[in-house]
Amino acid sequence: MSTELADVLIIGAGASGGVVARRLAEAGFSVVCLEQGRWHDRSEYRGADLDWELTARRQWAGSPNVRALPEDYPVDDADADLSPLMFAGVGGSMLLFAGAWPRMLPSDFRVRSLDGVADDWPLTYEELRPYYERNDRHFGVSGLGGDPAYPQGEDPPLPPLPIGPGALKVARAHDRLGWHWWPEPNAILSAPYDGRHQCVQRGTCMQGCNEGAKASTDLTHWPRAIASGARLVTGARVLRIETNAHGLATGAEWLDEQGRANFLPAKVVVVAANAIGTARLLLLSSSSSHSDGLGNSSGLVGARLMMHPFASVSGLFDDDLESWQGHFGCSIESFEFYETDERRGFVRGAKWGLAPTGGPINAALPSRAGDAVWGPDHHLHVRERFGRGASWGLFGEDLPDAANRVALSSSLTDSHGIPAPELHYKVSENSRRLLDFHIDKASESLRAAGAHTVEVDRLMRYSGWHLLGTARMGDDAATSVLDRWNRCHDVANLYVVDGSCFVTSGGVNPTSTICALALRAADRMVETRFDQQVPA
Amino acid sequence: MNAEPIGTAVNDPVPLELGHERMAVLARVGDHLMPAAHGMPSAAEIVTDARVGFVLRSRPDLRDPLMTALRPELGDDIEVRLDFLATQEPDAEAALQLVIVAGYYTAATVRALLGYEGQIAKPVNALEYPTYLEEGLLDSVVDRGPIWRDPETGNRAGAS
Repeated sequence: MSTELADVLIIGAGASGGVVARRLAEAGFSVVCLEQGRWHDRSEYRGADLDWELTARRQWAGSPNVRALPEDYPVDDADADLSPLMFAGVGGSMLLFAGAWPRMLPSDFRVRSLDGVADDWPLTYEELRPYYERNDRHFGVSGLGGDPAYPQGEDPPLPPLPIGPGALKVARAHDRLGWHWWPEPNAILSAPYDGRHQCVQRGTCMQGCNEGAKASTDLTHWPRAIASGARLVTGARVLRIETNAHGLATGAEWLDEQGRANFLPAKVVVVAANAIGTARLLLLSSSSSHSDGLGNSSGLVGARLMMHPFASVSGLFDDDLESWQGHFGCSIESFEFYETDERRGFVRGAKWGLAPTGGPINAALPSRAGDAVWGPDHHLHVRERFGRGASWGLFGEDLPDAANRVALSSSLTDSHGIPAPELHYKVSENSRRLLDFHIDKASESLRAAGAHTVEVDRLMRYSGWHLLGTARMGDDAATSVLDRWNRCHDVANLYVVDGSCFVTSGGVNPTSTICALALRAADRMVETRFDQQVPA
Repeated sequence: MNAEPIGTAVNDPVPLELGHERMAVLARVGDHLMPAAHGMPSAAEIVTDARVGFVLRSRPDLRDPLMTALRPELGDDIEVRLDFLATQEPDAEAALQLVIVAGYYTAATVRALLGYEGQIAKPVNALEYPTYLEEGLLDSVVDRGPIWRDPETGNRAGAS
């Protein structure tokens, strides 16, 4: 391929990479993106087929260790309480995400000032709000304006998705309890928009959306970026980012699917490879002038990994709720117990999102909590569960801890022989107390809604969708990797735009915030294009 | 765009090759786990060669652990076999359970008995007025006012 000098090299074609590519390409930058995965056509997804629950457990599983595709890299998670989930391909993990699109709350950016823990962000909710709103339009977000859990702002561009009969029961219960609830915003279309179809409520969002109703950057951003001149190279695994004697990034060495080495020179390098892949790449990019990894003078590259400990609380109802149907992004949310109340014995909180409960195979197999019913009662067990459940998913704020980190494995490699990431991650005592409290309250919610049985899956191992914090932003180069514009303190032409930049995790699904930060960083790159230091 | 499918097409001919002996064990395990009861047929009735073939065509990775779980060396006692697998070979046990469950619940007969038509398309009608608004279920949420915490004051927004 051509090795013509690019204005900007983006590593990773997922959520944040797509946002930056579209913005920069439309602004006239020459953009090249290297993506280790490939394009996926909607016809590949199995949601409309008989075997969707089977392939969901292997070919379309969230864990790269389970899928074990050549484009995946394995993750050594033996020393981690949670297993990380991700997807390598154009659109990235958005191909398999639920589509839930909540924003972080204003207090999330000020946890040191408000609660005396962790660190404040170098920016505020109000500073980020215009980027949230622009992205809502770019991705096509459905929701209802006026949620009192947030400051006022622009309404989502599309009306809310239907909440379904299970969520209606819970909404009525919250009305009686006097607790907050609201239709969840989702990056899933409730009506045709921007050339895409509306949702058909098949409930298989997390195995790929057959309709293209769920947003992912392969649909929403890359076609526009490419139309504006961006080049997207798939099957391209970046081995390292190179730097020159002046400490500036000069481009990246990458391997094609046959293992042939290439070098792509660029004036600016943008890393968008998720908080595990980005940390891995920066650590792999060590050199004589960056002996502990690129951009790592603070020692924080790879540190402070956050993954949102997760619990699922499911209510079983007598009524047939057809709870295999509906979008899998949350139907309703509750922020009733989100903000800190120290009387509870922990700080910070959790967002609740109500989701469907899956198909018959999911109802029949042993639960993730290990409950199995075999023998004659198996059929009663399935009839009691299948189509009759509603499940609160609880994302608790995960406070940063330097000991929770990404390192390089000394023994495990990917299909190219490149060292795999090795995770060290323990769930904190604060997180455990937080989840215990929220599990109790979510159980109360479901019982008030009429559930005859409540089942809890506490601290689910395969729940590490939200990969955050391994290259945090901040104003002080001694205590952060990136500045407030996602630019590396140590390398003036290196940016990190994925969830690595998070200072704290908040207690919500992070994709809308990742994308808002990426758009903000891209705007800044455009504004400062003539001041940008680049290699000679 | 390169768009080769990840999933194995379900109509591809793939030899079953479980063998009569292992299929007989599978039927006995199926009867043990999911016997006929409460108006539902047994797994042995439903999970035939064709159903197993369907599952393995979709998930060829299950073949080896399934063969392991059904090997004759584990003897005739189904409970002993399952106890052994649960404690010594959990991956083989999980594959065995998944093949039986998936073969059963993807069968048209079983789905009809459950009243399950599959993941059918029901396009959203965004013009439909939501029941929760008709019932006024958000009125009190709105009336209670903002619940977000103002970072400037540390208090609930709007609180004095």
